[in-house]
Amino acid sequence: MQINVEQKGEVTVYNMSGDIDINTSPEVKKAFDGAMKDKHEKVVINLKDVGYVDSSGLATLVEILKNLRAYGGKLKLSNLSDKVKGLFEITKLDKLFDIVADEEEAVSSF
Amino acid sequence: MKVLIENDSRRLKQVSRELIEHLKAKGVHEDIVFDIHVGFEEALRNAMVHGNRNDPSKSVRVETKIEDNAVVISVEDEGEGFDPSVVPDPTLEENLLKEGGRGVYLMNHLMDEIRYENGGRKVIMTKYFDRKHL
Repeated sequence: MQINVEQKGEVTVYNMSGDIDINTSPEVKKAFDGAMKDKHEKVVINLKDVGYVDSSGLATLVEILKNLRAYGGKLKLSNLSDKVKGLFEITKLDKLFDIVADEEEAVSSF
Repeated sequence: MKVLIENDSRRLKQVSRELIEHLKAKGVHEDIVFDIHVGFEEALRNAMVHGNRNDPSKSVRVETKIEDNAVVISVEDEGEGFDPSVVPDPTLEENLLKEGGRGVYLMNHLMDEIRYENGGRKVIMTKYFDRKHL
């Protein structure tokens, strides 16, 4: 799992690469500690290079969303593959998350 | 494949990878392979985390059988068992923000047949290669 963080104006973009699963979820959670501590209000998670997410990964993303919302932050997910998007649809998490097509749209739509 | 694995999430990924490679080599459609990948790992994760409660002294018995048009997967833990019918529906609005329940839900949706034996300690799942869900 690789996580690169970029600041694009007021928006913090997390570019994820690899699986978000039982083994990598703690690392993903930890990567957001800084943003949570500094109360970043506009956050994008770019899932372009994520080919697999399990239920631990979904739970981790839900937890990040909850933590952001607790201080009024907003989260958008971008660049989901059809298969990963399918998992969000099956679990109805597509209703909970703001899922947009690409990073550009995510950054400009806050 | 018939194997007894340690209660370790790295072993989970190894046995999953092995099955996925076999299915790819057999030419199973990538969408079906993805469903099996998720269903298999969720069953293993449930066995290790909820069944065996992350106890490293416990093991998980795994059996996979690739047939002409299906794979049959059996995963059995050494825990206390559970009643799958009482797992809350994670897709209900009041449960969307909760952590649990999505593993069993994904297994039910992505695999074609699923049944439990031995008081919920053992799950047996079948996925056909010619049906598409996602």
